[in-house]
Amino acid sequence: MHRDNRTAQSERSWTTRRDAKAARVAKLEGIAHGRVIPTESIVQALEALIAPGDRVVLEGNNQKQASFLSKALAQVDPSKVNHLHMIMSSISRPEHLDIFEQGIATKIDFSYAGPQSLRIAQMLEDGKLTMGEIHTYLELYGRLFIDLIPSVALVAADKADRSGNLYTGANTEETPTLVEAAAFRDGIVIAQVNELVEELPRVDIPGSWIDFVVVADKPYQLEALFTRDPRHITEIQVLMAMMTIRGIYERHGVQSLNHGIGYNTAAIELLLPTYGESLGLKGKICKHWALNPHPTLIPAIESGWVESVHCFGGEVGMERYVAARPDVFFTGRDGSLRSNRALCQVAGQYAVDLFIGSTLQMDRDGNSSTVTSGRLAGFGGAPNMGHDPRGRRHSTPAWLNMITSDNPLERGRKLVVQMVETFQTGNCPVFVEELDAVQVGRTAHLAAAPVMIYGEDVTHVVTEEGIAYLYKASSMEERRQAIAAIAGVTPIGIQHDPRATERLRREGIIALPEDLGVRRTDAKRSLLAAKSVEELVEWSGGLYQPPLKFRSW
Amino acid sequence: MSVVFTFPGQGSQEPHMLRSMPRHPVIAGTLQEASDLLGEDLLLRDTEDALRSTVAVQVALLVSGVAAARALQAEGARADWAAGHSVGAFGAAVIAGSLDFPAALTLVKLRGELMENAFRQGYGMGVVLGIPQQKLENIVARTFSREEPVYLANYNAPDQIVVAGSVQGIERVLATARQEGARKAERLQVSVPSHCRLLEPVAAKLADALKQVPFRKPAIPYASNRTGRTLLDPEAIREDLALGVSHPVRWHEAASLLVERGARLFIEMPPGRVLTNLAKTAFPSIRSVSAADSGLKTCCILANRFKAND
Repeated sequence: MHRDNRTAQSERSWTTRRDAKAARVAKLEGIAHGRVIPTESIVQALEALIAPGDRVVLEGNNQKQASFLSKALAQVDPSKVNHLHMIMSSISRPEHLDIFEQGIATKIDFSYAGPQSLRIAQMLEDGKLTMGEIHTYLELYGRLFIDLIPSVALVAADKADRSGNLYTGANTEETPTLVEAAAFRDGIVIAQVNELVEELPRVDIPGSWIDFVVVADKPYQLEALFTRDPRHITEIQVLMAMMTIRGIYERHGVQSLNHGIGYNTAAIELLLPTYGESLGLKGKICKHWALNPHPTLIPAIESGWVESVHCFGGEVGMERYVAARPDVFFTGRDGSLRSNRALCQVAGQYAVDLFIGSTLQMDRDGNSSTVTSGRLAGFGGAPNMGHDPRGRRHSTPAWLNMITSDNPLERGRKLVVQMVETFQTGNCPVFVEELDAVQVGRTAHLAAAPVMIYGEDVTHVVTEEGIAYLYKASSMEERRQAIAAIAGVTPIGIQHDPRATERLRREGIIALPEDLGVRRTDAKRSLLAAKSVEELVEWSGGLYQPPLKFRSW
Repeated sequence: MSVVFTFPGQGSQEPHMLRSMPRHPVIAGTLQEASDLLGEDLLLRDTEDALRSTVAVQVALLVSGVAAARALQAEGARADWAAGHSVGAFGAAVIAGSLDFPAALTLVKLRGELMENAFRQGYGMGVVLGIPQQKLENIVARTFSREEPVYLANYNAPDQIVVAGSVQGIERVLATARQEGARKAERLQVSVPSHCRLLEPVAAKLADALKQVPFRKPAIPYASNRTGRTLLDPEAIREDLALGVSHPVRWHEAASLLVERGARLFIEMPPGRVLTNLAKTAFPSIRSVSAADSGLKTCCILANRFKAND
């Protein structure tokens, strides 16, 4: 019996993946020169390297897009390449979905589809694509190593040398993660590069992980998504930022954090050197950050507030500034930023005290969602950071400050803060009876409603009315009362009971601006350390070079 | 893929809209062609008085849209998509290359006649600004009665929605909408409850007429009012033109889809600027111009520039 098993084993090949890869790579003989595929041969090369039914990771995240490779993939002959199972963190470009209409791809697993959220919802409804799952970034990266191991990875880099070494520089993002998943399980890795050079500034991804490089016809698409023009920050947002600094950052001693990309969190960044300074908080709060190089963080950095920033990705225009501040940012020997989305997501999940974000809708229980009806936008990374990671074991003062009982086994909590105005523009209440996500989940036949941040994870809600300290609420009913108390004249807010509100206020479960020592009349735009992009440039000593669309001069 | 030609619907008409069109041989030729086909001088049919007729309005909108689009094409501007609002969809089908202009003229004239004759009095439409779709749907559902029906008819923007039906039903919806915070809620000066089930008999007759007309595969995708999708199948376009009259116009969805598919410039055919203003509000990062305000030359230059940057 024992012997028979061994015989069966010896007959089995253990190198089927490696052999299959070698056979495919051999087909490029006569097309590629060494590792370099000529620009004009890319479609032919993809037809040779990709087989029907392959799992293909196509790099598209919210900033950097492998746009040359995605266009090429949309041009392959569907009779040769079809039924692909696409894995993408962000569905951003029209051709990302064109390939499904052309029959090249059939199934999708993704994380975020904001720029294509209507079309993907329509295609799902019309049966033009098969949905795998919608993930957070970390879940998707994780599955690349478990049950979504890619057969092919199509990625983007700034530069390559002839050995396939890649320089991804400031926009390293998730490229190393995608490449690793394919390269070490005999997948095929193809990188588009802006240029082929003799010597790289530094090696971000070693050539032994890369099978082919191709020089793109034009540089990969890169969007400046994290630039907020301070001109658009309103005085309501200044008020909410003041409340947050006093009522949350100062009160709990928040030292490490992740900010969303809203104007309200930009307001916080711009109030640190002015309002924060006047409260004597420098060195006590907001020292370590997990976030992209936001231009609105420049005044805080220049004023000495910021000790370190680790980045998911880069930001267009911030390259020279970042390179000149290596004490603050992670930079390579060449001087430029090294970002890494997977590691920064892990940092934002496990290593920071606080996540603060915004949302389009919140229900009475504090569940929130940015999904609007008829659209399937997905999650991105916010849920990774916007929850309490229950596997956390190290302590920080802010984390411990969330403990509300004297149980000897009690542990701390991540601070998860939602910061919203009670109404969006266009008379749309943020606080609603039911999230649109519920209906969207039903329509799209999702296994679970696409909730961005679950109420049970939210510790604080900040509105222009006040702050609800949800972590202090002793029951579900009290949580609901606290949310209703600061929900203004929305359908949820008008249901609040004034007597309950007074009690919550006395018990410190909600706080109005005056309870925090914040005067509404002080909330002026003049408090912002920079009131325009020009002033950000000034703060940076001319190192920040905003893209044209943010220049008014 | 970046330039959309949009064709406005009823409400965009203006007195003298045909005779005041830009001087261009292609426009003059199209006006003459249409007059010959209809056997009447169209330039005499665009006075304020003449445009009280639904038939005259719909025909004039088709002719001005097709004439201007042809002139733009003659000057080198190429559309990647064609999208028309309500009756504008016929102009879009012509410019997409799916439907011949003479057939479109006959069909639009018939459409106008059927609509004009379907309802004598007691029906109309109303517009509500500042109430989100879901909330307005709830209001309509709450106030609906079989005797005084009212329906959502045009989804022009997330907070600009038109209702259609019986005058009493509309008034009830408008009053409730005002109470619930609408910025504006008022009747429109039309007597036909377009784009709702009440027009099903019209849609059926129009479908019969459409069956007699050949449709080709369009050269560029056509944006459907009824489904909010882009169409390349000639049969689907034929169906959309028939059923469009009895189904809501999902304009915002169709326009949003075009933006997601890569549209970066919207050019509205004369005489209006309604669709331009909707696009400017909904898509601030997209360029939107009307031929009426910017002129053919500017539209051409922009179309070529956006094309070049493709």
